[in-house]
Amino acid sequence: MSIVSVQFGNSTGGRLSHLRSLLAEKFPATEIKPNGILPTGLRAVDESEGGLRQGAITELVGRSSSGALFAEAVISLLINRQCHGALIDTKHSFDPEGCEPEGLRRLLWVICRDVRQAIKVADLLLRDGNLPLVLLDFQAVRAKELRGIPASTWHRFQRMVEQSSTALVVLSSQPMVEAAQVRIAVKSRWKLDAMLERRSELLARLDAQSFTRRQFPALPETARKTA
Amino acid sequence: MYAVIFLPDFRLQSVLRWREELDSKPVGIVDERSAKSLILECNGAAKAAGVEPPMPSPQGLARCPTLTLLPAVRAEERAAQAALLETAFSLSSEVEATNDGCCTIDLRKAARETWEAACPQVIERLRALHLRAKIGVAPNPDLAFIAARRAEPLLVVNSPQAFLCQLAVAEIDPPAPLLATLHDWGIHTLGQLTSLPRGELADRLGPEADRLWQRAAGSAERLLQLVRPVEEFVEAFDFETEIETVEPLYFVLKRFLEQLCARLEASHRVAAKLDLNLPLEDRTCHERSFTIPSPTSDAEILFRIISAHLDGLQLTRRLTGVRLRMEPARPDRQQYQLFDNPLRDPNRFNETLARILAIVGPGNAGTVEIADTHRAESHRVVAANFQKPGDVAAKRMRGLATGLPLKRFRPPFPAQVRVVRHFPVQVFSEKAHGEIVDSLGPYRASGSWWEKAQWGAEEWDVEIADKGLFRISRNGGEWLVEGAYDTGLH
Repeated sequence: MSIVSVQFGNSTGGRLSHLRSLLAEKFPATEIKPNGILPTGLRAVDESEGGLRQGAITELVGRSSSGALFAEAVISLLINRQCHGALIDTKHSFDPEGCEPEGLRRLLWVICRDVRQAIKVADLLLRDGNLPLVLLDFQAVRAKELRGIPASTWHRFQRMVEQSSTALVVLSSQPMVEAAQVRIAVKSRWKLDAMLERRSELLARLDAQSFTRRQFPALPETARKTA
Repeated sequence: MYAVIFLPDFRLQSVLRWREELDSKPVGIVDERSAKSLILECNGAAKAAGVEPPMPSPQGLARCPTLTLLPAVRAEERAAQAALLETAFSLSSEVEATNDGCCTIDLRKAARETWEAACPQVIERLRALHLRAKIGVAPNPDLAFIAARRAEPLLVVNSPQAFLCQLAVAEIDPPAPLLATLHDWGIHTLGQLTSLPRGELADRLGPEADRLWQRAAGSAERLLQLVRPVEEFVEAFDFETEIETVEPLYFVLKRFLEQLCARLEASHRVAAKLDLNLPLEDRTCHERSFTIPSPTSDAEILFRIISAHLDGLQLTRRLTGVRLRMEPARPDRQQYQLFDNPLRDPNRFNETLARILAIVGPGNAGTVEIADTHRAESHRVVAANFQKPGDVAAKRMRGLATGLPLKRFRPPFPAQVRVVRHFPVQVFSEKAHGEIVDSLGPYRASGSWWEKAQWGAEEWDVEIADKGLFRISRNGGEWLVEGAYDTGLH
């Protein structure tokens, strides 16, 4: 312990930063490198994080409208960035009508029967590494089913995205992805008059808060399942 | 000058090129159509054991009990002939398909240095395709053919007279009666034959002898019957016994792809499409075409595309052979827009997509195409083609959508709705249950009224107390909960 104190200094922050730099130097493959940022157009997300982190898992937690609006924002992002993405739709709930045709042309829509299929598909797409953005929609899935996903799956996904420039976004109705680098909590509840507003205005009004991994509260025991 | 590329024992070579394990064993090719089952060709080991084609196969087996007899396979011969012709076109554009395993090339327009350097390369290229070739180069086609037969493996005849005078008369395939007469006269070599006066020889033995004299003198000229460059990249193989597992098939396919890709590269082409044909024991066949998203001549990538299909394939009959055809194309020269981000590895993505489709089922992965109608659920999922450049003009259509996007329930939930003064006030359903506190609608739409498949629907956006925002619809007298706009936890 004394050796550590001498080498890394006495302050906790100094010791940690030294330890991190030492680990990064010794094990370069395990170092998480910021691969880039994809601006979403959602003010709440872009102001705090600059956008979606590539090479990381982002978890978006909120009501069903948040996921649908976020998918809409992602489609706009695909057009703006002129890139391609995937939506893994676990309960076949995505409604493409009303979406931009050009965005839909850039979106791979995968309709899954259950959570197990969705995890397999996400695994294949992350290994493939061709798509910069993968959206995994679990918002319509019951919490009981989601608890069946081992925590090791998310850690494995995190290891996979670190090696690529893919941004994996998990849409859920409650926090469950322990390995997520960023968690976006959407608090907005909408009234019926929202149906008369432009979608771009609704996106701008989305009330969301971003947390980085260090700021996460611990997951409830019911949301955990170890491998 | 003319060149002849000659593949000795062509039928044997075309069958043995995929059966290297038989190289050191005595092997013969049998004509299964002949009544006596004649051995047509045999390799050196068989000849050393006393097998002499054409010989009935029982006689051959009596002389060499370890002799392996294989049938001549026309598909494999065609593939070998295509490879030969394609290689021949690398020497000149004027090629004659003289015979099976033999082609004649007009080199008169090529510089000597060019073909002298190219001929050994052609032999090497054919060797890489498991074909043993000989090349003869001479001032006329017939002489070049004789030279090719004697070449080891390349023979250039600069002085026809000196070359011919030592050859036996039998080398130029004279008719048997004429050969016998010449032997009776004591004429055994072509030099002896050409020393006879041509006119008097023709007077005594007829026009056949005159033509033979011309060939012996190396002065016989003929026009080549030129063929067009073939672009048939085909390989075929018949298994000796029917197979039930994929390992032998993978082995053959890998070899096929290596060979075909080498041929493609030699002609500066890439594979745009693969046609796989697997003949089955009940004389039917399994056929599958693979379109290559990013045309390539990389055998490894092409193999992965085929194996992704074969991994999930279940056949009820055993395989008797395999045929593989490649459709060549020029390498992709697609120009993307300045800021477009195409896929890094389209072939790998295609492979991943095939694996995803194997998991989720056909029609459950792809891009969406919306039909030009107001009818709900009028979209269809089509195969993703991310190689197509984006449509810049499409940006102008953005920002017109209103309201929250819908999350659909598929299938929609049947509901009972209490209506007061034409407005829904209460919903009873499995998914949404409660008092409607606010509603927007009705949004009525109908279409195809001029057809049998006419449709009509009345939609309402409703806010259900403590539940959220939903879309309900009425079709005839039946109410349905179509989806949710904003709901909470499950």
